[in-house]
Amino acid sequence: MPSFSPYDWNESIQQRNEYIEDRLREGSPVIALTYDAGLLMLTVRHNQRKLYEIYDKLMFGAIGNHSDIEQIRIGAIDVAHAEGFSRSADDVSLQRLASFRLSPAIKKIYSDPFAQPVVLKGIFAELGKTAEKDILLVLSYDGEFTITPGYAVIGGSVGSEDKMADLLKAATAETVPTLDDAVKLALKAWAIGKQHAESLNRPNDDEDETPPTPEEYLAEALKTGLVVEAAVLERNVTREGRYRSLRTEELSVK
Amino acid sequence: MTLSNARERAVSTGSLLDLLRDGPDAGRLPFPTPVRGTSERDIDTHSTTVIAVKYKDGVINVADRRATAGYTVMYDQAEKVLPLDDHTLISISGSFAKSVEVVRYLRHTFKYFERSQLQPMSQEGKLMELQRVIVNNVPAALQGIGAFIPVLSTFDPDTDQGRIYFYDALGGQFETAEYGAAGSGSGPIRGAFEYILRTKGPFRDMDRATALKETLTLLEIAADLDTATGGSSKHLPAAKYITAEGISDFSEDEIKAGLGRI
Repeated sequence: MPSFSPYDWNESIQQRNEYIEDRLREGSPVIALTYDAGLLMLTVRHNQRKLYEIYDKLMFGAIGNHSDIEQIRIGAIDVAHAEGFSRSADDVSLQRLASFRLSPAIKKIYSDPFAQPVVLKGIFAELGKTAEKDILLVLSYDGEFTITPGYAVIGGSVGSEDKMADLLKAATAETVPTLDDAVKLALKAWAIGKQHAESLNRPNDDEDETPPTPEEYLAEALKTGLVVEAAVLERNVTREGRYRSLRTEELSVK
Repeated sequence: MTLSNARERAVSTGSLLDLLRDGPDAGRLPFPTPVRGTSERDIDTHSTTVIAVKYKDGVINVADRRATAGYTVMYDQAEKVLPLDDHTLISISGSFAKSVEVVRYLRHTFKYFERSQLQPMSQEGKLMELQRVIVNNVPAALQGIGAFIPVLSTFDPDTDQGRIYFYDALGGQFETAEYGAAGSGSGPIRGAFEYILRTKGPFRDMDRATALKETLTLLEIAADLDTATGGSSKHLPAAKYITAEGISDFSEDEIKAGLGRI
């Protein structure tokens, strides 16, 4: 019978990370940020929808294998609805969902060398009573998660995530943007993040060429058939649902 | 659970009931099991007269606010016109506890379906869900506890008009062209509906204020003729309307005007 040593474990984790990171590298960044009347989540994508409503005040966007994203999405929706129905919508919180349900389950799969890992990086956004109480949570394929107020980003590489985060940090330090400004900001962040990820993937490009500005890069991307997808959770609404996909005319892109 | 369960379940059916039966909190099903041989007929809190009528832009729902148990008035501020989604109102009569539970179940069912299946439940699907709940409740209703009968109103964007459905105790569903009513006070005023239709023309041609005035008058008559229906002297009746834009509350002034107090 073959033995399994600590060395093998280390090795398998490393291979696992490489396998997952490799698959995430091409992922189109997802950006979430607070605006003056709610929470915005935005990405640029092909045909497959990428942003989802989870519960009354919860939304989700992710990069990775679609089947894995789907499983996490359904898992989160199931937990939220079972809890919201048997107790109250107020008992459905992102903190509980991530800490006690999603994170342990993903961690378990990640640490099992014989299980297919979850290829996913996702943002969960929870709308608070006020902007300061909004919660943005980035959940990773190893089950780890980080919570940030104000904004969150995911992209194909740590480098591109840092670039996007820098932009958002600077732009939201002083003020909470309007929806229109938040959309523009998120689009710029997307272009910066995607552009950076692309430059890493093709390091041998002609270095004399001036890289396009984020605006130019975005315009080019949209010409190739990519579309902007954006959704909001609105703080003050009279209708039943707070989640809403933004219409094309609200997206400040042609 | 969650992920591993999601993996085992592999697909989501979009059915909240499946989730409740097989999900993380199975065993906490909210529906009571009928008990045999109860003779107590008055433990239930009952109510009501609820009325739904069409008007030219949609549907109006009004309801009294009294909840009773036997000869006791339990509550005078009951809310019996409840939204199921952005374009659907359910007006409840009969067992208050059961009705509220059913409304809660249906609201979650519709939302759960839409979120998990990434498409809203169809109009037909929603009506079927409601019928099923009523049918499942028949054994309890036959024992004298937990009978409830709703009136469902909705705005149908396909035909651009309001629609009203009423039910019998066995879950039979009837669509009505003009009005629907339920509750102990609805019987005594049935003739009055017909009288209005024949003397003043169809409700669906009336404007909102006129249709509200007529329905509030009917509700006041029901309160006069039925002990389980509350009048408007202590608390104003509940009144809502649905149009293509969604559900709105009538303002206090509109209701007072409809009652002839302004």
